[in-house]
Amino acid sequence: MILRRKRAEATVPSMAMGDIAFLLLIFIVLLARARDDSHLVWRPATGSELVKPANQNASVVIDKQNITHLNGRPVEPQNLAGDLGTLLGDLPAGSRTVLFKVHKDVIAEYFEPAIEAVSEAGGELHHVLKPIAQPQP
Amino acid sequence: MNDIAFILIVFFLVCASVEPEDGRSQTIPRSEKNEDQKNTQTIEVGLTPATVTIDGTPYHQDQFPERIHQLLTQKKTESERVVVVKSQADVPYEHWIAMTEVIELAGGIVTLLLEEKQTVTVE
Repeated sequence: MILRRKRAEATVPSMAMGDIAFLLLIFIVLLARARDDSHLVWRPATGSELVKPANQNASVVIDKQNITHLNGRPVEPQNLAGDLGTLLGDLPAGSRTVLFKVHKDVIAEYFEPAIEAVSEAGGELHHVLKPIAQPQP
Repeated sequence: MNDIAFILIVFFLVCASVEPEDGRSQTIPRSEKNEDQKNTQTIEVGLTPATVTIDGTPYHQDQFPERIHQLLTQKKTESERVVVVKSQADVPYEHWIAMTEVIELAGGIVTLLLEEKQTVTVE
């Protein structure tokens, strides 16, 4: 009597792999969002002759609730200069751009000390604005 | 189907994560901490939520660009073109950015005059 050896087939379950890839993607996206400032609520002021920054090394956001954030994380205004100084380190001039995103209705009491802190840390200020809307003909 | 769904998700994520970063670069010299340090030749612009003053004289917001341009064309050196901006605490960012833009377009160098907070304990 001849017994035939059973052959076990090794296949990759494509549906399961798809699910794993999907979960990995969500995980990476959440991780990335926690480190940037896209979750913060602010509306830019308007300006003309706007340019793109050559580079960006840090971002300071003052949101609708007047809360200051450095790279997406809340920071005490009095600690901003120190934290920013640590972040920028010894980067050469031209590579110390700080994106400054302030909600349009935030008052000077909150944004002027932040500007002073950026200046103190040796950051190069780049106000993020939106272009002035052209009137419709 | 799986591949199409995956590519669609990546496409939407990329679209959602593109944020505008257009704006205006500004070089701010270290701010003046008190009025005594101020050079007498520098122009001082005062901002309140509704008004703008140059060396104490109020101007309508439409007249301000012309006047500041006139004053700055008389200044020859870089240090003379420093414009000290003193804002009231309740000036909104939108007004501040519009006025500093006018100053910079006229050739001025914006610097801030900040009030220092002092706490005095009375025994």
